Amino acid sequence: MMREESAIPLVFKVIAGFALVVLLLPLVIVVLAGLNAGDYLTFPPQGLSLRWVKSFLSSPVFLSAYFYSFLLALCATLISTVVGTLAALYLARSSSKTSGAMRGFFMLPIVLPGVVLGLALYVFFTTTDIGLARTFPGLLICHVLVTCPFVIATVTASLVGFDISLEEAARSLGASPWTAFRKITLRIIAPGISAGCIFAFIVSFGQFETTLFLAVPNHEPLPMAMYISLRYKFEPTAAAAGIFAIALVVISTIVTSRLVSLRRVFKA
Amino acid sequence: MSDIRLVNLSKTYGEGNAVSEINLKIGEGEFFSLLGPSGCGKSTTLRMIAGFIKPSAGQILIGSDDVTALPPEKRDIGIVFQNYAIFPHMNVAENIAFGLKLRKRNKNEITWRVTEALKQVGLAGYGERYQRQLSGGEQQRVALARVLVTEPRILLLDEPLSALDKGLREEMKFWIKDLQKNLGITTVYVTHDQDEALTMSDRIGVMSKSKIVQIGTPQEIYERPKTLFVTSFIGHSNMLDVTILGQDANGVTVDLNGQELKTRASSSVTPGGAAKLVLRPENVLIGAALGDGDSRLSATVLSETYQGPIVRYRLKVGEQEIVAERQNQAHVERFSPGTVVTIGWDPEWSEALVA
Repeated sequence: MMREESAIPLVFKVIAGFALVVLLLPLVIVVLAGLNAGDYLTFPPQGLSLRWVKSFLSSPVFLSAYFYSFLLALCATLISTVVGTLAALYLARSSSKTSGAMRGFFMLPIVLPGVVLGLALYVFFTTTDIGLARTFPGLLICHVLVTCPFVIATVTASLVGFDISLEEAARSLGASPWTAFRKITLRIIAPGISAGCIFAFIVSFGQFETTLFLAVPNHEPLPMAMYISLRYKFEPTAAAAGIFAIALVVISTIVTSRLVSLRRVFKA
Repeated sequence: MSDIRLVNLSKTYGEGNAVSEINLKIGEGEFFSLLGPSGCGKSTTLRMIAGFIKPSAGQILIGSDDVTALPPEKRDIGIVFQNYAIFPHMNVAENIAFGLKLRKRNKNEITWRVTEALKQVGLAGYGERYQRQLSGGEQQRVALARVLVTEPRILLLDEPLSALDKGLREEMKFWIKDLQKNLGITTVYVTHDQDEALTMSDRIGVMSKSKIVQIGTPQEIYERPKTLFVTSFIGHSNMLDVTILGQDANGVTVDLNGQELKTRASSSVTPGGAAKLVLRPENVLIGAALGDGDSRLSATVLSETYQGPIVRYRLKVGEQEIVAERQNQAHVERFSPGTVVTIGWDPEWSEALVA
């Protein structure tokens, strides 16, 4: 064990440590800024207090934005997990020549700048007049589009090396196609689905650019509410909201990985 | 236990035939091997019997039931795959219990049967292990236990030994054969390995280019190959260019380098036509080993190769080469290169085949 650890070159450890600091520092700053005792969003904070946390908890604007974002991310995650998993299964098993092109097409929303996608959808919804512009279903469609590729990517990764004869073995042992899928395939790719779920939720919850074009008037999701709040009054409430956003992401990650436990799937 | 009948079974993909018009009856309790090179259609045939591939035409009957249209789960078949397909997220006991749970057996019965099945395959006490903690041979046994515990009507084995190393393969060959014999279960075994097929099978169906070219016992397949393909695919054979002189009730007369020889022919041949005289190296006799009534020719020893239990000679007869293999044992004469010797064979052990 000792030897394995010392086998990692020092330079790698330094790079890893640096990356960790760069990634975590902003989070620490947001948390500290949210606990600021002063009147304005400043760092370092002028003393610690729960003043702005209380302000967030009593702000109807922020609270409704928070729950709106939560609901939106939940719906988007559910839909894109199902759709993305099915798509990944199809892409992995199809022998069709078009499946490569289809995979690229499904991945486009990741590559496309959010501003472009948001604008495109907005123009599409308004010009076709199909009643989706600046509505919850319209926004949800957009979030599913953006989050689906993450699910497809993670599930595809878990399907690499998945041996179809496992499913066939289950079938000849008496399992219907659905039972074989549920008891064998689904269990084996569960870590991939779980990871896709977490990605989808985080991406949807933090989605800003596309939301700018498609948000329902007076129902801003949290990222927009934070932006508006910071633009008009430079209050630490937004940072306090950030604390709750971070907490939600952490909790949802833990809950998801517990529900589809990685350990249960690959227990030693 | 049931017999299997394949009636005009065919599978076409696009333009090509993967399997064409196979007619086959595999008896109750029989160990039947489908032997052939890769791409000959043997696996496709097995997968059609299992229900994973839908035939383009023809019927599959197990016992008296036509299962052609049934999905795999309704066929009551056990299949062991080349890579064993042990479910990685279940331990050995759960793997074996899988089929029993689907059949809604009660808990006590499942526990008892799983324990019995593990004993049967020599893996008592392995119930808690996972796939990655098992060797190839152990996975093989688990795969068999998982299948046998459901008491399937027939057993299908898809190249089950090809992923094992040589020593283990030898051991498993006899182990599987014994298990099959004791259970008396009708078995279809797919392999490209002639040794496996010859050692384990009651009968072998040799496949080539989507067709079964010969069906017979291992002895018939080895000693009486009906086509040049079977001859060259099973073991080594001398194939000498000859001209057919005539055919009567006793066999065929051929011309080899101007010398008349008697030989066997399983099919009718045309006098004057070219053919191959097919002859196993172990049946080419040299010098004093020759008996009465054997064909005799003069030959020159080109080389002598010592291989332990056998000695291999390359001999020149006219412009053609013959390989002879002699047992390396007491009282067997050895010949050095350059020596002119009399060689020959029993005409009943040679055969004229037309390409």
